[in-house]
Amino acid sequence: MPVQGIRTVTAARNGVGAFILQCKRLDFHYCDWAGSSRGMVAYLKHHLPAFAKANPQIEIRVSPRPHKHPVIKGHYINGREKAVCVRNLEPEQIVQKTNLLKQASGEKLKRTKKPVTSLNESVRGIWSPYHGGLKSV
Amino acid sequence: MFSRTTLARALALPIEHSSARSASTTFRACLHQATSTTTTTTSQPEAPLSATPRAQSSIPIQQPRFLTSSNTVPLTRADVPVTKQPVAPTFDAPLKVSQSLLDLLPNLTSQKPHFITAHLHDRPYLLTAGDQLRLPFLMPKVKSGDILRFNRASVLGSRDFTLKGGAQYLDERMFECRVRVMGFESEPLRITEKTKRRRRHVQKVTSKHRYTILRVMDVKVKTAEELLEAGAVVVESADSDANVELKA
Repeated sequence: MPVQGIRTVTAARNGVGAFILQCKRLDFHYCDWAGSSRGMVAYLKHHLPAFAKANPQIEIRVSPRPHKHPVIKGHYINGREKAVCVRNLEPEQIVQKTNLLKQASGEKLKRTKKPVTSLNESVRGIWSPYHGGLKSV
Repeated sequence: MFSRTTLARALALPIEHSSARSASTTFRACLHQATSTTTTTTSQPEAPLSATPRAQSSIPIQQPRFLTSSNTVPLTRADVPVTKQPVAPTFDAPLKVSQSLLDLLPNLTSQKPHFITAHLHDRPYLLTAGDQLRLPFLMPKVKSGDILRFNRASVLGSRDFTLKGGAQYLDERMFECRVRVMGFESEPLRITEKTKRRRRHVQKVTSKHRYTILRVMDVKVKTAEELLEAGAVVVESADSDANVELKA
């Protein structure tokens, strides 16, 4: 008898019951020497501690990356990562970028035309010509 | 499990409407005017959070009472067309239900699942519990993890029964539809090439819109007992706020 996998009964839908933020880790890279990191260094000094305190569920790593532009990388539960280059940005702009990474879902950006995506079956059922409201000729 | 920020925000935001009516009516009204950008109201989920005190940081502003339902639209934002203005909650009068509605409502409430046509900025969204909704705009003043309550709906139904509000929206005391703010997404960068005649120059216009992602937590129709308990008044069928119909 072949080995059979266990069939999934439910699909995971974050937010219906509990809500888990999709961003699990943020990496901050900076350079001590280069001028494009000036805003980033100021951000790390003045804004990051408060951000880290307000978001205990996000792991935060800060590491130097010499001779390169500063980068923020977000790592997400679905395994993807999203990187934003923050060269020559002011600390306030970096705050916005960090919020963007924090609130993203980690999915690849897609253009969708329908506003609602549903896993549920249709409530009303599928229309059938043989059932209900039959017209006799 | 709720994150700390979620909890803090949930505390700072208002009020379940099912709580004490007379006091909360005017307060909710002023909240609607203060944050008129959405037609939703934020409220709290069940047990664990509701024990904590509410509306800590909200400043109670004395507002004039709302005119009743002859539908005076509060013109809070002049640039928004009249149909898209947020509608004031009509809580001055108790909910009016007809006897036929009370008789048919158990059929609807007992038949699951339910769908709802919720309206936001006058746009209809057909939703069931667990659906993901991508709003075509960036909703201001919300964070991921927040819970909103949709209070404008035109149709609510199950497989065989439909609750219709007629010309107006359904009364928001007849159902509960909560959604959770999941986060904010954007579309891929769009580049439109624009040209003029007899000119070898192509102008490239870029756009990258941002959207709010919501998840529908529950769609619940209140039972007849719950409506009567909340103070609904039985009236003639012509005056009823809504009607249940059998699917044709």
